[in-house]
Amino acid sequence: MTTKGALAGLKVLDVAGSIASAYCGKLFADHGAQVVNVEPPDGGFETRREPPFIPGADAPESSALHAYLSTNKASVALDVALEPEPLLRLARDCDVVLDDGRFDCTAFTEVAPEVVVSTITWFGRHGPYADFKGSGAVCWSLVGMVRNVGPEQGPPWVAPGCGAEIVGGLAAYIATLGQVLARRMGNATGPVRLDTSIHEANLCFTEVGGVGGYRSGRRGKRLGVNRFAPTYPLGVYACADGWLGVTALTPRQWKNFCSLLAMDQYADEPGYQTAIGRLMHYDTLEPIIRSRVRKRSAGELVTRGQSLRIPLAPVPTMEELFSVDQYVHRGAFTQISCNGTDFQVPATPFRLFRTPAVAGGAVARLGESDSEYLA
Amino acid sequence: MTRPGILAGLRVVDLSMGWAGPLAARHLADMGADVIKVEGCVRFDWWRGWEATQGWIDSHGAEKNPAFNMVNRNKRDLTLDLSTPVGSELLKRLVAISDVVVENYSAGVLPKLGLDYPVLSGINPALVMISMPAFGTDGPWSSYRAYGSTVEQASGLPHLAGESDYPPTMVHVALGDSVGGLNGAAALLTALYAKQRTGQGQHLELSQSECLFPLGAQGILAQSVTGRPPPRLGNRSPRYAPHGVYRCVGEDEWITIAVQSEDEWEALSAFSGIDGFVDVADRLRRNDELDAAIADFTEGQVAEVLMLELQAVGVHAGYVASGLELATDPHLAGRGFWKLMERDHVGVLPHPAAPYRVGDEPFDIDRPAPTLGQHNRELLRDLIGLSEAEIDDLEREGIIGTKPRLP
Repeated sequence: MTTKGALAGLKVLDVAGSIASAYCGKLFADHGAQVVNVEPPDGGFETRREPPFIPGADAPESSALHAYLSTNKASVALDVALEPEPLLRLARDCDVVLDDGRFDCTAFTEVAPEVVVSTITWFGRHGPYADFKGSGAVCWSLVGMVRNVGPEQGPPWVAPGCGAEIVGGLAAYIATLGQVLARRMGNATGPVRLDTSIHEANLCFTEVGGVGGYRSGRRGKRLGVNRFAPTYPLGVYACADGWLGVTALTPRQWKNFCSLLAMDQYADEPGYQTAIGRLMHYDTLEPIIRSRVRKRSAGELVTRGQSLRIPLAPVPTMEELFSVDQYVHRGAFTQISCNGTDFQVPATPFRLFRTPAVAGGAVARLGESDSEYLA
Repeated sequence: MTRPGILAGLRVVDLSMGWAGPLAARHLADMGADVIKVEGCVRFDWWRGWEATQGWIDSHGAEKNPAFNMVNRNKRDLTLDLSTPVGSELLKRLVAISDVVVENYSAGVLPKLGLDYPVLSGINPALVMISMPAFGTDGPWSSYRAYGSTVEQASGLPHLAGESDYPPTMVHVALGDSVGGLNGAAALLTALYAKQRTGQGQHLELSQSECLFPLGAQGILAQSVTGRPPPRLGNRSPRYAPHGVYRCVGEDEWITIAVQSEDEWEALSAFSGIDGFVDVADRLRRNDELDAAIADFTEGQVAEVLMLELQAVGVHAGYVASGLELATDPHLAGRGFWKLMERDHVGVLPHPAAPYRVGDEPFDIDRPAPTLGQHNRELLRDLIGLSEAEIDDLEREGIIGTKPRLP
C-alpha cells in the first residue's frame, strides 16, 4: 500500500465487485487510497470472470480486465453474509464502502462514523426499472447510444465492451469523492448513503437528445455508419496506408478541408457553408471525399490538415495504439504485473503534477491479503 | 452568492468552452460550488454557436443551443475581454479569490494572454487549475485541433465497434466530450481533496483521447495480452447467444436482447417458444438460425412492452430509445430525472439530474444556464468590489457586455 498520492490515508472497501465499482475503486487506488476488495471465497469478484483472459493463466487469476481494474488493491476472501464480524473489523474507520445495494449506513455506523456507503446499480435503487437485469448493451440501448449507430436500414449496432460500466464507475467516483471532500471541508458530517445509477450516468452522452425530443416531439433518423447530425464531413476514411478521422465543422474548417483535398470548387458553394447543409448533400460530397482521401497517406493528411487547423487525426488499430508517438511520449500505457505475467494497460487518464497517480503495480491474488487484514 | 450544497464555499472560475470543460464544472456546480463562467462578447463559448452571423446574434441565437444550456446550468456568467489589459487584470482579481480554474483553450492561448498556470498560481498559490486539451499538454499532438469526434477517432476505439465489413465505426458524434468532462470533475475533486489535506494547490491536466481508453479496455487489453484485437462482431457476443438488436412493430423500432446465462436462455425459450438448441456452444454455432428465430418472434411485438415482459422473466432486454423516448421514459420520469425550468429565449425545457443522489430525490438544479454576461454587475460589484460607475465604463469600453459581437 502506498502512502503517496492525492488520496493517501483514505480507506475504501469494495464489497460489490462489479466492473463499475471496481473502476470507481481503481481511481481511488491510483491516487494512493488503500482499497480492499472483499471477495466471495468461491471464485472471487465477477470481474475475475470477465474477458480478456491471460493466455496460460488459470482462474481466478486469469482475467486481464480484473487485473487492470484491481491493480494496487488488496484482496480478502470473505463471505460478507456469513461472516459479518470480520467485515466490521475490516470496515473500522474506513471512509468509503462501494456497495451494490446489500448494505446501508447502519451496518457500518458504529465502526466508521463518517462512512460514505456508495451504492452503484444499473438503474438506481428505486423507479420502474430498479429491478431490471442490466448490462452494457441494455443500458446503452435505453439511453439512446444505439439508435443512431449502424447501417441506415438497421439493425442499429451496440458497441461491445464495458464502456457503460466504466462511465458508471467514473460518475460514482465523482459522487463518492465529493462526499468525502465535503466531510473534510466540514460541509457534511456523519454517515451517508449515495445512490449512483449507471443508466443515468450514461445519459451524459445523450441528455441533449432528450431535450431535443421534448422540444420537437420527433425522432431523429439513423443516417448510416459514421454519419451523425449535425456535423459533416465527419467520419473514418480509408487512406492509402490506414485510416483518417475527419471532422470539419466551421466554415473555415470546411474551406481549408476543400483546399487540403484539392476540391476548392466546393469551398464557397452557398449550400455547403453550414455543417447541416453539407450533410444534406452527403450523396454528392461523400464519393468525392472518399476518392481523394483514399490516394493519400493518413499521416501526411493529418500533419498538413492540422497545420490548416482542421481537426484531423489518425485512427490507430489496436496493434498500432501502443506505439502512437503521442501516447508513447505521454506514457499513456503502463505496465502491471499479474501473477507472474506483465502487460500494458491504460494509465490513469488524468494527471496531478504535484501528487501524481501511481504508475503500474501488482494485482493481488484472491485472498492474498487475508493474513494482513483478517488476522 | 453561495448556494447550499456539499461543496458550498468553493469558487470555480470556468474558462472552458464546448462540452467537456463545462461539464466538468457542472458537476461541481451541482454539488454546490459557486461556478463562474467567464467568456467574452467576441470570444464567447463557441458552443453557443459556431456559425455566427449578425442575424443569428440579433435573434438571440447565442442563447438557444440546448447543448450549451445543458452543461452550464447552476452557473453564473461573466463576460471579460481577456485580450485587453483591463479584462486580464479583472480575471486575475477573480482568480485571487477563487479555488479552482477550469480551462480547455488550445495550447498557447493562455500563455499568450499571460493567464497560464505559472502566472495564476503566482497570484493564488493554493489554486487548483485543470487544463483539458484533446491530447494532453505535451507531446507531438499537444497543439492539435480536435473535437469530441476527433478524440474518439484517435483513441482507436472505432476499431472495436461495428462489423468487420464496414469501416472502423464511431458510436457518437462527440464521444470524447462527456467522458472528458467526467474525468475533469474527477481530477478536480481528487486535487481538491489533496489541497484540503496538505494546503497545497496544483496544476492538473488530462488528455481527452486517453480518457476514452478505459471504455475500450477489453479490446485494448485483448491486444495487450494476446497480441490480437477482438473480432468485430457487430451486435453479437463471442460468449453468449442470442445477443442482438431485433426489429419490433413500428417504424425503426428495435429491442436489444442480450442473454448472459443458461437460466436466461431457458426463460427466453419458454417465453418465446423457441427451442431446439442444445447449449450455448450450439447457439453460438447456429447464430444465424437463432437470430432469425428471435427476429421472427420480436417482429410483431411492441418493443417497450416486450422489454417489460422479458425483464419480468429475468432476461436482459431493453428497447432502443431515441431522444423522444428519453423525454418520456417512465423510469426517468419516476425518478424525477428531468426538471422543467424556464429560461430566457428558450422557454420551458427539461434539465437532466446529476446521476447520483442522496436519498430518493436528485440534487437540485436551482438555475438554468446563464445568458451571456447575465451576472456581470453582481459579480464585478460583490466579488471584485467595482463601483457602478466603473462597471458602466467597462460596458462602454466593450470589455464586458451581454450580447455577442462578430470579430
